[in-house]
Amino acid sequence: MKKFSVLGLVLSAVVLSATALFLYDPSILYSKFYEYTGMPSYVKAPDPLPKAELTKEKMCDEQYPEWRKNYTIGGVDIQASDACNPDNPYEVAAFVLGTNNVIMPVLMRTQLSDDSVVKTDDLDGDGDPDNIVIRVEVAELNGRSPDEEGFIPSYQIAPGIKPGAWVFAPKSRGMSTINRDNLNANHLLRLPSAPIRVEAGDNVTLILENTHYFPHTIHLHGVDHTYEGNDGVPQTSEKMAMPGEQHVYKIKPRHAGTMLYHCHVQVHVHMMMGLQGLFIVEENKPNNWVQTFNVGAGKVRKPSVGVLADYEQEYDMHYQAIDTSLNNLIQTSNDPRQLAKRMNRLYDITDGTDDYFLLNGRSFPYTLRESLITVEPNQHTKMRILNGTAEVLALHTHGHKATITSYDGVDVNPVAQITRDVYSVSPAQRIDLDLFTQNDGLHSYGEGVWLMHDHAERAITSDGIAPGGNVSQIVYRKYLNKNAMASTMGEDLSAYFTPEYYRGEVPSWTNADAFGFFDDVGGKTVDSYKDVLLLIVLGMLLGVLFLLLNALYSFLHATSIKIKDRSSR
Amino acid sequence: MRNVFLILLVLPFANVSHATMRMGEWGMVMNENVKELPQGCTNIAGVKEITIKAGREYAKEFPGTIFGYSQHEFVLPKCTQINVKFINEDNIRHQFMIHGLPTYLHPQGMFHMELYAKGETQGSFITPAADATYLAHCDVAQHMEKGMKAQVVVGDGSGDLPSVPGISGQLNKDSYGIDMSAGNISLSLVLLLLGLSSCLFFFIWRKK
Repeated sequence: MKKFSVLGLVLSAVVLSATALFLYDPSILYSKFYEYTGMPSYVKAPDPLPKAELTKEKMCDEQYPEWRKNYTIGGVDIQASDACNPDNPYEVAAFVLGTNNVIMPVLMRTQLSDDSVVKTDDLDGDGDPDNIVIRVEVAELNGRSPDEEGFIPSYQIAPGIKPGAWVFAPKSRGMSTINRDNLNANHLLRLPSAPIRVEAGDNVTLILENTHYFPHTIHLHGVDHTYEGNDGVPQTSEKMAMPGEQHVYKIKPRHAGTMLYHCHVQVHVHMMMGLQGLFIVEENKPNNWVQTFNVGAGKVRKPSVGVLADYEQEYDMHYQAIDTSLNNLIQTSNDPRQLAKRMNRLYDITDGTDDYFLLNGRSFPYTLRESLITVEPNQHTKMRILNGTAEVLALHTHGHKATITSYDGVDVNPVAQITRDVYSVSPAQRIDLDLFTQNDGLHSYGEGVWLMHDHAERAITSDGIAPGGNVSQIVYRKYLNKNAMASTMGEDLSAYFTPEYYRGEVPSWTNADAFGFFDDVGGKTVDSYKDVLLLIVLGMLLGVLFLLLNALYSFLHATSIKIKDRSSR
Repeated sequence: MRNVFLILLVLPFANVSHATMRMGEWGMVMNENVKELPQGCTNIAGVKEITIKAGREYAKEFPGTIFGYSQHEFVLPKCTQINVKFINEDNIRHQFMIHGLPTYLHPQGMFHMELYAKGETQGSFITPAADATYLAHCDVAQHMEKGMKAQVVVGDGSGDLPSVPGISGQLNKDSYGIDMSAGNISLSLVLLLLGLSSCLFFFIWRKK
C-alpha cells in the first residue's frame, strides 16, 4: 500500500514537471513543436521600469563667483579665472607675498597659519625675496570616524564618490571641516597635494610638519638638492618624520623646470594614497614673486615672470588614479596598527587595479567645475602635466596638436620639439605643453569645446561608468556661459551630476532618450492563462515533493524503531 | 613694492588683536569670554585654573591612538571663569577647541585655542548655568579620531560623549581578532563549557 503511494507520488512529480516545461516552452521538450502547431502567439515584452529618481546637483555649485575677476591685492596682479569655483584671490596674494608680508585683513580672508609661507631677504637685490620658508602638513581625506559611519573630513571626487586619500597641504589654521555640522573638508584640504613653486636660486626651507598618524618624508624628485637629510629616502638620507614630528629640507635649486615631490615611505602605498604633488622651479628673473602654492592645481593666477614672457596663461595639471582596495582601507578601522598592517603587508599592489581617475583631484563631471582650460584664439597656454598614476598616460587633446617643450623639467631643443595629439607620459614623468590656439589646421582646428582626456579608455570611466575619469575640456571663451560652464551642442549633462549615475542606477542615455528605447527593463508579469496554469502546476509539484519528503521521513522513522526493537529484544 | 613689503613685514609681529581674537605667528585664541555672564548666572561664582597638555606622549596609555591630551575629562563648576593654560608638546599644530557653548557668548558656540608649534598659551571662558557635557577636541584632520578628544563636564553634565579615550567606547566599533594565547583560549573554552553544561543540567533535571 505504502510503496504504491510512493510510486504514485514519483509518477505525478514526473508528469507535473513535464507539464510545467510544456507550459513554459514546448520547444524544450520537442524542438520541432512549432513546425506542427504554427508559430507561437505574440507576447508583449515587459514594460520599462519607472525612471530612477535623481538627486541632481547644480552643475556649478558656485560659492564666490566674484573671485573669478582679476584682482590686485597688496600690489599683486592676480589673473581672472573662468572656473566655477576659482581660487581665493586673497589666498593667492598671501602665497605670492608670503603670509608674513600680507596685512591681517588679507590673512583673515584665508585659512592659512601665519607661518605657512614666510618670505624674507632680497639677497641678490633683484626685487624679490630669496629666503623662502614653506610649511606643509599631511591631511587625511575621507577617513574613518569612531563615532559615526560617515567619513571625515569628507571630500567628493565626483557625485557620491568618497575614496580615502592623504595629501600634503599648506599649513593652515582652524577646523579641518567646514564647521561642526558640515563635515566636508575645508578648501585647503583636497586632492591633489598642492603644487609648490619656488624660484631658481632661492634658499628654500621646506618644513614637513607631520600632522598625520603614520610616518612620512618628502622626496624632491628631479629638484636640485643636496643628499644629506634632503633626499627623503628613509633607507638612505634621513629618518622618517614620525607623527607629531617635523623634518626640515634645505635646498637651493639651480635648475628650473617642472618637477615633483612625494612621500618616500612605503612609496607604493603613500604615493598612491595621494602624497605626491607638482614642484615647479621657476627661472630666476627680476621682480619674480612666484605663487608658492596653487591649491587644487589648475590655473595659476599669478604666473612667474619667465612664463609670462612666452605665454598668456598657465595651467598645472596633475593626473592621478585610485585603487579603492588600497585607498578605502583607511575607512575599515580607526586603529592605526591595523591600518599599517592592512596597507603595508596585506594589500598587494601587484594585484591592484585602478578604479578612479582624477585630474586635479576630481573626476568628470566635477572636472568641469575646476579644470576647464579656457582659451582665446591665437594664444599660447603653458600646461605643466604630471602623471601621478602607476600606468602610462596617453593624454589626448581634441581639436589641437600641442608642442612638448620640456620633459622632466629639461627643455627640448626647439628644433627637436614634437607636436602631436597623444602625449605619452610615463609614471612620475612631467611634460610641459605649449597649447597654441592658432586656427591653422594643425595647432588648432578652430574655436569650440574640445575634450582633453587620457585615451587609455579605462581612464575615462569612474569604476567602469562613463563618462567619468579624467575627462576635461579645452573651451574657447566665446562658448562659456555665465554659469562658468561650456554651452555645448551635445546632450544635457545634468544626469551626470547625480550619485545615482555613478552607482550605475541610471540608463546611460537617459537624458537623450525621449522614446525610452534604452530604459531599464521591468520583470515578467502573470498576464496569460499559460502563466496562471504554469504557476498552479509548479505549486502542485511543490506539494508532491513535500509529500515525498514526508514519506521518506516516515520510512526512516519506522526503520529506526524496528532497529531499536530488535536490539532491545 | 619693496617699501610696502617692509612695512607689511612688521605688521603680523605686532600681534594684532580682534574683538575676540588674538592671533600671531605662535597660533591663536578665538572667542574668549571673561566679561559677559551666561544666562542664568547672577555673578561669576569663582575662578578656576586648568592646564591641558597636547601631544603624542599622551597617546601611549590608550592603544590604537596616536595623539592625546594629558586629561580627557574636565569637571567644572557652573558660572565659573575658567582660565585654560594650553601646552603643545609636539612639533606640529594642535588645538583645544570646545564646541556647543552658548552662541550669544561664543560665535558658532566655539572657544578655540591653537598653537602652531611647541609652546603654550592662555585663554578664558565662563561656564554656563546648566548641567551639560561639551565636546573638546583638536580638529586638525584625524586628530580627534586618533585620540585628541576630551569632554568638559559642567555641573552634573549631560552624559558621556562617545569614544573619549579612557572614558567611553566607540559607536562605530573597530573589530579585532581573538587572542590565541593558551590562557585566553582555555578561559574561553571553560566559559563555553559552563554554558553548555548548565543547559544540559536543566534538561536532565527536568526529565527526572
